Amino acid sequence: MSNNGAPKQSFSFADPDKVQNILSQYPDKQSALLPLLHLAQSEEGYISSAVIDTISEIVDCHQALVMDCVSFYTMLYTKPHGRHIIQVCQTLSCSLNGADGLVDHVTAKCGIKPGETTDDNRFTLMKVECLGSCGTAPVVQVNNDYHESLTLEEFEKLLESLK
Amino acid sequence: MSSFEPVLTKHIHEEDCHTLAFYRSVGGYKALEKVLSMKPDEVIDTVKASNLRGRGGAGFPAGVKWSFIPNDSDKPTYLINNADESEPGTFKDRLLINKTPHQMMEGMIIASYAIGCNLAFIYIRGEFYKETCLLEAVLAEAYDANLLGKGILGSDYDLDVVIHRGAGAYICGEETGLIESLEGKRGWPRIKPPFPAVEGYLKCPTVVNNVETLCNLPHIFNQGPEWFRSIGPEQGPGPKLYCVSGCVNSPDVFEEPMGVPLKDLIYDRAGGIRNGNELKAVFPGGSSSAILTAEEAMNVNMDFDSLINIKSMLGSAGIIVMDEKVDMVQACLNIARFYEHESCGQCTPCREGTTWLVKMLIRMINGGGTERDIEMIYEITDNIGGLIDFSQGSFGKTICPFGEAVAWPVRSFVEKFKDEFLSYMPNLEVVA
Amino acid sequence: MPIVKIDDTDFTVEKGTSVLQAALANDIEIPHYCYHPALEIVGSCRMCLVKVEGMPKLQVSCNTFVGDVPSDKKIDGKYDMVVSTQDELVQQEQKNMLEFLLLNHPLDCPVCDQAGECDLQDYAFKYGNAHSRFEEDKRVRPNEYLGSQIVINHNRCILCSRCVRFTREISGSSELFVEARGYNSKISVLEEKPLDNLLAGNVADICPVGALLSTDYIHKNRIWNLDKQPSICQDCSVGCNVDVFHQKDQILRLTPRENHSVNKFFMCDKGRYGFHRFEEIERLTVPMIMSEGGFIETTWDEAIEKTVDELNGAGKGIAGIASPFHTNEANFMLGRLVNGNVGTLPPITSEEINYPSGFRISGDRSPNRHGMNDVCPSIVDDFASAVERKDIRFLYLLDDGIDRELNELWKGMLEKIDFVVVQSYAMTDVSKCADIVLPGQAPFEREGTITNDMGRVQWLRPSVTTKGESRPDWEIPMLIQSKHAGVEGLTDVSSVMNEMGKDFAAYSDITFFRLGDQGLPLNGKAEE
Ligand SMILES: Cc1cc2nc3c(=O)[nH]c(=O)nc-3n(C[C@H](O)[C@H](O)[C@H](O)COP(=O)(O)O)c2cc1C
Ligand code: SF4
Ligand code: SF4
Ligand code: SF4
Ligand code: FES
Ligand code: FES
Repeated sequence: MSNNGAPKQSFSFADPDKVQNILSQYPDKQSALLPLLHLAQSEEGYISSAVIDTISEIVDCHQALVMDCVSFYTMLYTKPHGRHIIQVCQTLSCSLNGADGLVDHVTAKCGIKPGETTDDNRFTLMKVECLGSCGTAPVVQVNNDYHESLTLEEFEKLLESLK
Repeated sequence: MSSFEPVLTKHIHEEDCHTLAFYRSVGGYKALEKVLSMKPDEVIDTVKASNLRGRGGAGFPAGVKWSFIPNDSDKPTYLINNADESEPGTFKDRLLINKTPHQMMEGMIIASYAIGCNLAFIYIRGEFYKETCLLEAVLAEAYDANLLGKGILGSDYDLDVVIHRGAGAYICGEETGLIESLEGKRGWPRIKPPFPAVEGYLKCPTVVNNVETLCNLPHIFNQGPEWFRSIGPEQGPGPKLYCVSGCVNSPDVFEEPMGVPLKDLIYDRAGGIRNGNELKAVFPGGSSSAILTAEEAMNVNMDFDSLINIKSMLGSAGIIVMDEKVDMVQACLNIARFYEHESCGQCTPCREGTTWLVKMLIRMINGGGTERDIEMIYEITDNIGGLIDFSQGSFGKTICPFGEAVAWPVRSFVEKFKDEFLSYMPNLEVVA
Repeated sequence: MPIVKIDDTDFTVEKGTSVLQAALANDIEIPHYCYHPALEIVGSCRMCLVKVEGMPKLQVSCNTFVGDVPSDKKIDGKYDMVVSTQDELVQQEQKNMLEFLLLNHPLDCPVCDQAGECDLQDYAFKYGNAHSRFEEDKRVRPNEYLGSQIVINHNRCILCSRCVRFTREISGSSELFVEARGYNSKISVLEEKPLDNLLAGNVADICPVGALLSTDYIHKNRIWNLDKQPSICQDCSVGCNVDVFHQKDQILRLTPRENHSVNKFFMCDKGRYGFHRFEEIERLTVPMIMSEGGFIETTWDEAIEKTVDELNGAGKGIAGIASPFHTNEANFMLGRLVNGNVGTLPPITSEEINYPSGFRISGDRSPNRHGMNDVCPSIVDDFASAVERKDIRFLYLLDDGIDRELNELWKGMLEKIDFVVVQSYAMTDVSKCADIVLPGQAPFEREGTITNDMGRVQWLRPSVTTKGESRPDWEIPMLIQSKHAGVEGLTDVSSVMNEMGKDFAAYSDITFFRLGDQGLPLNGKAEE
């Protein structure tokens, strides 16, 4: 999260009404934390320290508590990632249906191991746990979308289509 | 196969089955109308009479759980619909959300009414983005039709529903981890007591129910608790969704009565083992259940008691099938690694023990194992989760049942497929 | 009230008492880490498991509460709960838990600062297995600073979360958090928000193992080499109870001592690290008298004689300056010496800080204003005009000490007075205005009573010896007064307390014995 001593960027939500709307749904402010983090990540790509500052003010709790929460969840990123986050399910049913091959394929094709991002910022590769879609294994989630029952060929086509 | 006609999934193959119009056309929200004319206590009693047991994993009777909500509390009461579906091998709630979201909504409204709740939540796992969008549309439809909001269907009952997305943490499926997460915190399960029914979300009385549990409710009111009890075994009756995945020809979700033979699910509904292979092992109730050998699997019925009798459990009915080609040591590591990744890290045995297991398994796979390690795995799993036979004092060593959820499968792998583990030990091969 | 049987003994307890509380209150040890009486219960270390009759699983004793059981359900017709802390299962479980906790522990007890007061070391010895079966690689992380005074040794941390809860529940500052989850969990702070609140030092005390270290104390000494003196913090009017650790007449650290009527379990860092400011001072240890060229040393006999002479010559024009930094006994003797004609210097203050937990750091930096006012009831606020009016020619000051700065007004006033005696421990601002300086005690040398701002009288005990020829603070005015009045002197501080009690009813039955470690409220006046 360091930005090499450059003055800290500030963050504000694109649409304050959305924020108000989220807050109004809950009986207390802190319950709005996860939805606000999701919203911020959809705008910024990751949870920067500026995002943490802004949100901690909105929900009225210490930055450390926000960070405590952020660091717990695998879908919240504290670093920027590539445009397409390739999340290959590696849990048993997917693994029994060729998930490892999909990971190896990305590594061979793009030169990135799980956790890494391509130099052109196109892909980030991740291994994730069961996506709740084991009946259509192997499953790969790219950003918000599920791609199910993938063969290697279909996966290759999918990667090609992601610019 | 039996001639059972699906209840929950009867219409999932029909066009637009997710819409309100469709749901209404097949009798949707009739049960709600009936319920709104009943007293909340009568609603609870009906559900008790049906003996509907929770479909989220623990199998606790829904009506009994509701009745724990104190009557004399001046605090608000909350219902949370647990749509976190993260148990490996489980993908039934996703189907219900996608295909029959109004069935689930109707169930939620009924449950909320029964416990006097005016604000309910759907806690949906963060990865289910598409489903979240769909549910938002469903909520809008329901508000428009006065199924939610103020004075529902002309009654004086008000209910708002909020969709809350998780953010990637299996443990948030555990009800108190879920509540913490909903409160904007890390999903660390809470120590009990107090139980959520007394002190849950924001320290208010709270009921957490699984999607499938809620989906059963409209049918109980439409067709009566007796009808419900007549399906499957008495101790845990009703229609049930079974998820079959792994090494089968046609993995899918299948609806059958409680107590259907596992064999039928694997060989009939799911089309048998792929490539004509032999069956080797099965997780009957998600990866947290003890694994079954082929022989056990061929002879067990899928209900609470039958599975407990063979020291496994129905859990989430996530059936993961492994064929003869599957390396049991690798499969065991896959599961142990899952739990290592998902342990919230709060309790000592779970945090330290899961990692210990993973490190040992990796060492074994790399040829560094000794026979002593087998004994040690038994001891470590016992020390995390206790013995599976529920013997005195030997379980409940951790804050939440995750401890058991990692201990039992890992131990059962080693116990039931010991030879495969031993075969990884170079020094022992000579003896064998 | 419910009756709980723990092992072989019956205890009557308040309804809702946890088994752990009941055991600890009765000196039954149940090993525990995450439970701390000042913090919310989380039940995560799983160390405190016990067997409870009628319950299928072992229970964590910190979260198992003794209730009132209807009489027909009582066990053996008598007990509301029956607990075993010694059951075989319990003992086995303690071994197991310790094994898990020690997996990644560096086992570096010989070089650890906590050694000697580490619950991990203690429990491992008492309840654990002799050696480890763990063959895998340990989790190794470098030490990190959490704040300017606190370092964490992650390898020793057992993630009991006491420190995190402390910053949320007690200091309310919330700097600490758990980062990541599972095996990767670690205690962390945000770089821009370090653990630098005034209660931060307490986290090192409440850490049950040696994971949190005060940089002030790292590797200074092994704890068992130190002597420990229970005493009272003298850095504000709250009067936190402390233990002063010292060795060879040198203070090495202060830690809070439990007192539920005062500081509960904690103290602030002003008080904790405050002792350092006395380390560098040049301690005054012989009487000094002003002559042409400045101060020169003199003997006690001469100093006292000279003072008594001046006192005699001053007639009614005598007064004293009492000090809220001194004990009741010193102030009382001063009052006697100057016939109750007493003033005091303006208070030394800072901002009062109140924490969500109720912990308070007083704005009054002196420890004994309440007591000083009690034993010098006629203190005048506007001493300056009193000096003019009453033609004060002899003034005896108890010096507040090195924190006192003297303003020009006071300096001018002191200059005008014929003879100024200052009782002090250093050549302070005040001492420099004296005609004669009599060497008294420095703060950690003092003994007597002080009364905190809630009216609780507490026993201030010395933790280092009085230096050089310096004399007890109460003794110096006593010697002068007895000589001046031609009466027999008092022999010890207890007899001063006795005299004080005769003059001031509120102090009439105060003795060290009765004060003990916890002090007493004045005249039964509650301190709440
Ligand atoms: C580790 C763990 C994970 C769980 N995950 C889920 C889940 O994803 N979905 C779910 O409905 N219940 C899950 N549960 C069960 C819930 O704690 C809870 O019992 C359930 O939601 C209650 O609903 P029911 O009574 O309707 O089954 C999980 C439990 C544990 C211990
Ligand atoms: S058992 Fe595991 S997951 Fe459950 S609370 Fe304890 S550490 Fe967390
Ligand atoms: S640093 Fe100490 S107090 Fe904090 S969690 Fe670790 S062991 Fe507990
Ligand atoms: S609050 Fe006051 S008495 Fe207590 S430690 Fe701090 S300075 Fe000392
Ligand atoms: S195992 Fe991959 S989706 Fe469940
Ligand atoms: S002290 Fe009871 S679980 Fe930690």
